[in-house]
Amino acid sequence: MPDEKLKIGVYTCYCGGNISHTVKCEQVAKLMEGQPDVVISRTNMSLCSDAGQSQIEQDIKELGVNRVVIGACAPSLHEQTFRGTVMRAGLNPYLYHHIGLREQDSWVHACDCEGATCKAVRLMAAGVAKARLLQPLESIQLRAEKQALVIGGGVAGLRAALDIARQDLRVVLVEKSPFLGGRMAQLETVFPTGEDARELLHRLIEQVVAHPNITIFTQTEITGVSGYVGNYGVQLLQHSRGVSDEDSEKMIEACQRLVPDEFNYGLSERKVIYRAYPGCYPPSAAVDWEYYFDHPLQVNGKQVVLKDEPKTFDVNAGAIVVATGFDPYEPRHGEYGYAEIPEVVTLPQLIRRLALKKDDEIFQWNGHPVRDVALIHCVGSREVEGVDEPHEDGQVNNYCSRVCCTAALHMTEELHQRFPGLNIYDLYQDIRTYGRGHEEYYRHAMENCVRFVRYHGAERPEVTTAPDGDSHPVLVRVKDSLTYNEELEIPVDLVVLAVGMMPRDIDNLVKMLKVSRGNDRFLLEVHPKLRPVETAVNGVVLAGTAQGPMNIQESLSAASAAAAKVVSLLGQGKVELQPFVAAVDAEKCDGTGACVEACVYEGAIALETFEENGRQVKRAVVTPANCSGCGACVSVCPNRAIDVQGWTLAQYEAMVDAIAMDIVDLVEAA
Amino acid sequence: MNNLHVDALVIGGGIAGMQAALDLGDQGFQVALVEREPSIGGKMITLSKVFPTLDCCSCITTPKMSAVAHHPNIKLFTYCEVQSVDENGAGFDVAILKKPRYVDENKCTGCRQCEYECPITVPSPFDRNLGSYRAIRVPFSTAVPQTAVLDIDNCLLCGKCEKICPVEAVDFTQQPEIFGIDTTAIVLATGFEMTDLGAKKEYGGGELPNVIDPLMMERFLAPTGPYGRVLRPGDGMEPTTIAYVQCAGSRDQTQGIEYCSRVCCMYAIKQAMLISGALPLAEITIYYMDIRTFGKGYEQFYQNAQAMGVEFVRGKVASIREDENHNPVLRVELTEEGRLIERTHDLVVLSLGMIPTASPQVFGLLPSSDGFISLPALNASPCATERPGIFVTGTASGPMDIVDSIITAGAAASDASAYIRSKIGMRVEQSEVAYA
Amino acid sequence: MTTPTTQTKNISRGEMLKHLREQHTETVARTQALLKEQKRVQQEICKVLRDNPKTVPEIAEAVGMPAHEVLWYVASFKKYGLIVENGMCSDYPLYQKAQEK
Repeated sequence: MPDEKLKIGVYTCYCGGNISHTVKCEQVAKLMEGQPDVVISRTNMSLCSDAGQSQIEQDIKELGVNRVVIGACAPSLHEQTFRGTVMRAGLNPYLYHHIGLREQDSWVHACDCEGATCKAVRLMAAGVAKARLLQPLESIQLRAEKQALVIGGGVAGLRAALDIARQDLRVVLVEKSPFLGGRMAQLETVFPTGEDARELLHRLIEQVVAHPNITIFTQTEITGVSGYVGNYGVQLLQHSRGVSDEDSEKMIEACQRLVPDEFNYGLSERKVIYRAYPGCYPPSAAVDWEYYFDHPLQVNGKQVVLKDEPKTFDVNAGAIVVATGFDPYEPRHGEYGYAEIPEVVTLPQLIRRLALKKDDEIFQWNGHPVRDVALIHCVGSREVEGVDEPHEDGQVNNYCSRVCCTAALHMTEELHQRFPGLNIYDLYQDIRTYGRGHEEYYRHAMENCVRFVRYHGAERPEVTTAPDGDSHPVLVRVKDSLTYNEELEIPVDLVVLAVGMMPRDIDNLVKMLKVSRGNDRFLLEVHPKLRPVETAVNGVVLAGTAQGPMNIQESLSAASAAAAKVVSLLGQGKVELQPFVAAVDAEKCDGTGACVEACVYEGAIALETFEENGRQVKRAVVTPANCSGCGACVSVCPNRAIDVQGWTLAQYEAMVDAIAMDIVDLVEAA
Repeated sequence: MNNLHVDALVIGGGIAGMQAALDLGDQGFQVALVEREPSIGGKMITLSKVFPTLDCCSCITTPKMSAVAHHPNIKLFTYCEVQSVDENGAGFDVAILKKPRYVDENKCTGCRQCEYECPITVPSPFDRNLGSYRAIRVPFSTAVPQTAVLDIDNCLLCGKCEKICPVEAVDFTQQPEIFGIDTTAIVLATGFEMTDLGAKKEYGGGELPNVIDPLMMERFLAPTGPYGRVLRPGDGMEPTTIAYVQCAGSRDQTQGIEYCSRVCCMYAIKQAMLISGALPLAEITIYYMDIRTFGKGYEQFYQNAQAMGVEFVRGKVASIREDENHNPVLRVELTEEGRLIERTHDLVVLSLGMIPTASPQVFGLLPSSDGFISLPALNASPCATERPGIFVTGTASGPMDIVDSIITAGAAASDASAYIRSKIGMRVEQSEVAYA
Repeated sequence: MTTPTTQTKNISRGEMLKHLREQHTETVARTQALLKEQKRVQQEICKVLRDNPKTVPEIAEAVGMPAHEVLWYVASFKKYGLIVENGMCSDYPLYQKAQEK
């Protein structure tokens, strides 16, 4: 930049009290005012407000401020906001430096006002020192692929794909299993409307299949992800279907191998060549390669052995939607008697069982009629550390699975309609029928004489086999807080566990996409309020239960919101990346290659051969789009020939000098 | 006057409306945002901190407000109300009433000299009438736009504001005006109101001065509240024992509100935790029927509150009276012990519920039995209304918290965008998967 | 940001105000009464706070008004700089007149 007089504007935010209740902002601002090159130093109750931002804009326009230093909340919240402010005022947005006085100072030193103020002074002085060395930068503009990849063909994935397609982008929808529909297909009726689940699903699938912008790949997995927002390269592996449309019936008939049917949670069996359910999509049968084992088939008098010929291919995507869904919690062996007592079943299993036995007039289980049922809430949810046994990863599921209370009471209504004489005991902690149209299920359950028993999390109900000769096969023991903690012993014919939701096992995908998971193991959003469907990885968004327990209506909304984000990102056909990437000073570089060795990001830096004064020389070359700006290269270069733009070594040195300065000197420099 | 033409009209400038407008504007659509109050921000800008992260609410709302005000594709109309919505074949003709501010928006700089000069002080609904402002005022410190507005019904017409204004922005000659916007799609984000404080006579809300509503407590906890601290409105005392009465405006057939208002358990627990910070010696009791902390991070929030010492008592409060010192006395059945007790607290907060702000008839829509806008395709398109081209988001479609409001705003924007494209006739090209 | 233009009448300012006051006689009369009452209360409260800081109940007793009304006035005076807080008396904040600048 040509000789332009430095005019630094310093702004110390009160952050609505969050900073000012510990840090004496006025003192900080006063000390900054006297620093060399600082032309204005202000405080503000809330810099991010319109009034606060206008003040900064005004100072740039009227006072000629050409470097801005802001001390406020963490950069993750408002760095982008203030870049916008600075840009609107006509200044290069990278001539501004943000200091996190809240998370880094006032919030962590809440009991030490003097110390916190001192630290704030140092942090702001460091910011001013850096500001003196800031240079204008341009964000990196890249062409963006106007195509999105949606991972998961359940209701959320389908909805996201359709929404993106209807907003004029292309979509590749990838589903791991041979059939679309996910977990919604395993339901019969949905709350609160009582509509048929598969009918709703099919209407959605029809629209997705019919849309010319969407290409669907079933039996397909992701095997590799490279690139960055706007230009992800995704490697896919698609297994063969194994049978064609016309051959489906013949092949199903010829197949003799049976395996547990996961669609019915193991309550029934299916063939290894199968359709998930009548009316599924794609309509042709598929071979379950995991269990096929080269089993020969007799077809038209000949022996046929089917082969899986997996294809790998690559697809480009500007953005990725993760809609991988959930698994119902599988109780441990013996948890409430599960897998040990045949009369203990999960709610999803019961839904399947009632569907399989749609024509039964009498409710039977394990050979006996069912007259009394116990329904237990919060199985695998709301677990308490120290009380409940941790799972394989050492964690307990301390979250609420959100949908189970309504699902359970919806089931009591279905049972009451089908089997009016049935006696139901509902064992719960809190009834969470929070949604619109959900409270009605609670009221109906009470009117239909469901007996509610309330237990405390610390003392969960116990399920045991009843002694021989008892009227019922199972006993449920529980302390009922609604009757002064009296211990009840309830004889029942069936125990239904309202199990919670667990995220699917997508460890490989998580590693490939580099997304984060929360303590609850579900995928993590950047900020639960400001950016609820985006991940920390630019261009990767979340849709549906991959992010956390939610019902169908909520999954649909989340999927549509994710679609909106994708369209905003890719709609213009280009994306902007921040310029904080490594840059090589070719004159200082002598091709030692230490940087290439130190770099862990694929494709970020390489040695290339150039001709210089008739000789062949090697010089380091950075590919900005692949560089994460981590600075590992900077630390190993023997010639200081490489630097991260916007975060240079000289800037760091100036910041450290300022921090190490004696406060007395700082005051005197003012 | 010619109608303004836009692609989408968003009605309501709260968090859902702002987010929907931003999502649509980011896609390149021309958006008009109409808000009936003099400033956008809705209910969210009045809150202190939000659950479960306890972020400062202002800090996350004001940037959205600012972004809306500065977005090149969004035109903001404040202090305006929709009068009628008519179909015109290609979209909707919407008649909008612009209420007179008596201040020229183009001249006013928000300096507030008029406010300080004005001799009349009136209760401020922003502070739930416990705080005040002048007859002419900038509605609140972070208002967008930062423009003064004159309340003519409380105005002396003394002319002091006009005299002191350095840019001659005060204009008593303003009249209400009707103007038109024609738009392809409409997004309703008209938000909610709290159920009435006095609806349940047994609770004494509106009569007993120390029985308050939760938005009042939000104002006490906010940095710019009426007292600058938590005090009880009856006599300005710092309360030591505070009670929350859950389901005070929901799940109650006697009030005609049978649904759950979804946010009250969380906001009560949140306020309890914030009060513990502001008044470390305070004892807080939450009287509840069911604790509904169902969202991401919410159950952990509940567990933290219990660990912090907030007392949770299961019991539906039957009635509230006051003693000679205006201390509220609660009569409640302790369901876990099976006995009735009376307990005195310094301050009682009724956890009121949500009802929709707008009656949907002006949009040609009918309410559902619960009063909120009817959603005919709940399990297919949760933002669709009975009328094609009109979408709904946020609490106008049912009680929900901020996270769900932002998500449904994105969903409504997605729906509206697809609708607008289909109407404008954007060609859908034959697709080819882009292979690497 | 474009806004629809407002209509203006071409008459003198004094005439215009007079005309408006005629249109709004009811509200103006009510507001005048309100102003009178607010001025009276302000005077009374300032008199009570002349010597030493007082709590809201103390002020209320001295001026003979309900405590919750006094609190509203006190909050308003605090907002517009007439009163400041100064310490506590058990559970009640103390208020005193702001220093004249």
